Amino acid sequence: MSITLKLGDGRQFMSKTLLKLTTSLVAGAFIATAATAADTYGPFPVTVKGYEGDKTNSVSYTGQIARHALHDSLKKAAAKGDGGANAAEVEAMLLAYFNGSDEDLAILAPASKDGFPVKQSTVNEISKGKNISGKFYNGAMPAWPGNVSGQEAVLHMIKHAAQSNGGFDAENGYDWGQIISKYTMGAMMYNQAVDNYLDEKLEADNKPNDKPYKDGAYYTGKEHSWDEAFGYWGGPAHTMSLTPKQAYGIAKGKDLAAADADGDGVVDLKSEHVFGPAYYAAGADKGGTQSTNYMHTIMQAFIDGRQLIADAKGEALTDAQRSELKAYAEVIESNWEKVLAEATFKYAGSVYKDIAKMGSLEGEELAKAYRNYVKHWGELKGFAMALQTGKNNLGGTATELNKLIGYGPVTLDNTYVTGIDADGNFLRERRATWSDYQLQMLQAQKLLKDTFGLASLTNDATADLESLAGKLSSDSNAETD
Amino acid sequence: MEVWDNLIWIVQDFVDPRKRVFVGYLFLSLVIAFVWMWWVGRRNPDNTKRSSLRRLFDKRIFFSNSAKADYKIFVLNRLFSGFISPLLLTQVGIATGMFYLLHDQDWIRSGAFGNTPKALVVALFSLTMFVVDDFTKYLLHRWMHRWPALWSLHKVHHSATTMTPITVYRVHPLEGVLYGARGAVAQGSTIGLFIFLFGNTVDLYTVVGVNVLVFAFHVTGSNLRHSHVDIHYWPWLERILISPAQHQLHHSVAEEHHDKNFGAALAVWDWLFGSLHLSEREKDLTFGLDGRDADYEADLGTIYFRPFKEIGRFFKRRATRLWHTVPKRSSPAAPRKDA
Ligand SMILES: [Zn+2]
Ligand SMILES: [Zn+2]
Repeated sequence: MSITLKLGDGRQFMSKTLLKLTTSLVAGAFIATAATAADTYGPFPVTVKGYEGDKTNSVSYTGQIARHALHDSLKKAAAKGDGGANAAEVEAMLLAYFNGSDEDLAILAPASKDGFPVKQSTVNEISKGKNISGKFYNGAMPAWPGNVSGQEAVLHMIKHAAQSNGGFDAENGYDWGQIISKYTMGAMMYNQAVDNYLDEKLEADNKPNDKPYKDGAYYTGKEHSWDEAFGYWGGPAHTMSLTPKQAYGIAKGKDLAAADADGDGVVDLKSEHVFGPAYYAAGADKGGTQSTNYMHTIMQAFIDGRQLIADAKGEALTDAQRSELKAYAEVIESNWEKVLAEATFKYAGSVYKDIAKMGSLEGEELAKAYRNYVKHWGELKGFAMALQTGKNNLGGTATELNKLIGYGPVTLDNTYVTGIDADGNFLRERRATWSDYQLQMLQAQKLLKDTFGLASLTNDATADLESLAGKLSSDSNAETD
Repeated sequence: MEVWDNLIWIVQDFVDPRKRVFVGYLFLSLVIAFVWMWWVGRRNPDNTKRSSLRRLFDKRIFFSNSAKADYKIFVLNRLFSGFISPLLLTQVGIATGMFYLLHDQDWIRSGAFGNTPKALVVALFSLTMFVVDDFTKYLLHRWMHRWPALWSLHKVHHSATTMTPITVYRVHPLEGVLYGARGAVAQGSTIGLFIFLFGNTVDLYTVVGVNVLVFAFHVTGSNLRHSHVDIHYWPWLERILISPAQHQLHHSVAEEHHDKNFGAALAVWDWLFGSLHLSEREKDLTFGLDGRDADYEADLGTIYFRPFKEIGRFFKRRATRLWHTVPKRSSPAAPRKDA
């Protein structure tokens, strides 16, 4: 502030030297600010007592990054089916990414492309021996037909994805890659982070801070628990210096400059890429009303929590420290839940709009619009299921949401999936009009907005009503004669 | 500072182009009135610009007891404006309700006319909004005259014995709330309907933030409706648009003028429903209420509280009558007081 004033006031009689000096002062101040504001997740010192190795940074979450790579690849692989002929082969492939494999699996996504080179090309280059299945929510999943558990639901999806043509089931209205992927963002990432690492692992007797996470580890129990939760969140270490737009660009493989924090010209998946949950936080902040700050709020809480643990210097956390840590965990959990709800809200709006669009189309154009509709519905369904894998039982909200969204979208002949038969095949025993389904989307948006206190509200199907009402100033309505 | 804030708050309608008494509209009304007076008396040698001005700013009108009461009511009613603000929320609620309701109809789908050119949609919406607004104002005004309880409220407006543009504010606060509620219902459902049919292309043609048609109404002298300047239109036009003289006739005490010209901007509703009365040239009108209600003219206590008393009395009478006409089934032997 004072420097700027100097520049302005002294302009007339400022010598060249003075100008140079002032400029470097400004630059220096800028760099100093940047260094404190752009807080990164790590490096944090090794604090575990009795560690004798040569590690100096105790941060470690490569296992979670490997799982992100498995998840992104699983989504990609879900589109490999050719309509039945290669079903066995594709199912094996999907299960390899889901269950992990003795072989080193290729990373199908995020893969290197022009202008966005990725450092790792196989999962083992990130971390060995990882899978999705071992970390997948397995409580009841009433959002999916057949009285299934969380894992049974995803295996059912995988089986159908393998039999589909390019991951698309037009008849029943499923886009398998989308449903599986979005559901996994809840069932693995969100669930593991908020219901495990940020929950019971924060208790005093669980993974204490005065002991290594496991024998010989260079990080303490609490350090690593926190790191694991952070890993599932999927934001790069330098998230605080990214705008939501940049984070979005990185996830889409379009912004190498923003991703490449260490300037080595390649994107290191271990610390520089933006994965699922962080990507959707950025999306909510960037879109809609642009009034939210989910990405930085969650990231800051992760950094502050990790700093708190590092500051304990390998001693067990006091009750006060743990309750402070739990407060950070609470910030992460509630905002993460909102991010999932915002995404669900957004896709309910997409589905609403897609239906309006399809109404005036025919033939080829209708088929294309229907494909988009099914894609958006898959994202809607996946996120709605993801929301139901958290720490809190959503109770009536979940029941209502599942009723409104249904097991499947209203398809071109107005039927929709109502359940499965004994062999796991989908049954479509009822019909609904497009308008009815649109109304359900409106109700789903209202339910989500009211229950979770959403603010970004991308694709709000009733936003136009409000803005128009605002234009007609209502108090001059009282003018009489 | 605080005094200034309060002052702004009281006079803010004069600087808000969405309000009828916006200074710009008032100025235009003056110009129109002046030109009119000069033109009407152009053959009279005594009629100078000076005399026209003197008649325009007639002290006996602007400082009459009735007008002074108008000014006080103007300030007092600002205190009640808070009652009307929540109606914006109601309006959004009604728009949403309408929008939901339409999704339940099988014969029409949302966005059915989504491909209509934007200019057409905006024109249609602006026109519909104006017409719907005007029609519902006509209806409510008619009811204000027909139903005794509502007339108790509306009498406040009709008690003005001289009229100035500020007389538009001479309204019982409850009547203001009724008109606000009307606006919420009329505009809310129109918004819901249009967004349902046309999607996000719907918008309003506005000038200085107000519907272009409302703007046209204001710049053509809407303020003269409440004035002594009896501008009248050609008879054919007075069947389409209410002229200032026609609204002044609505305020006349003469029996034959009662319950005529309820319209706000459009005269077609009066024409259609048989309440139209063309203006009468060269005839002096007396404004106000007759005999019994004369004390409404300037007494604020009467103006604000008499309506409540009257409404109370009215409902009590109704209730008593109802009580006596309903036979008491539970005790058939009980003697009836009257038949
Ligand atoms: Zn009037
Ligand atoms: Zn009247």
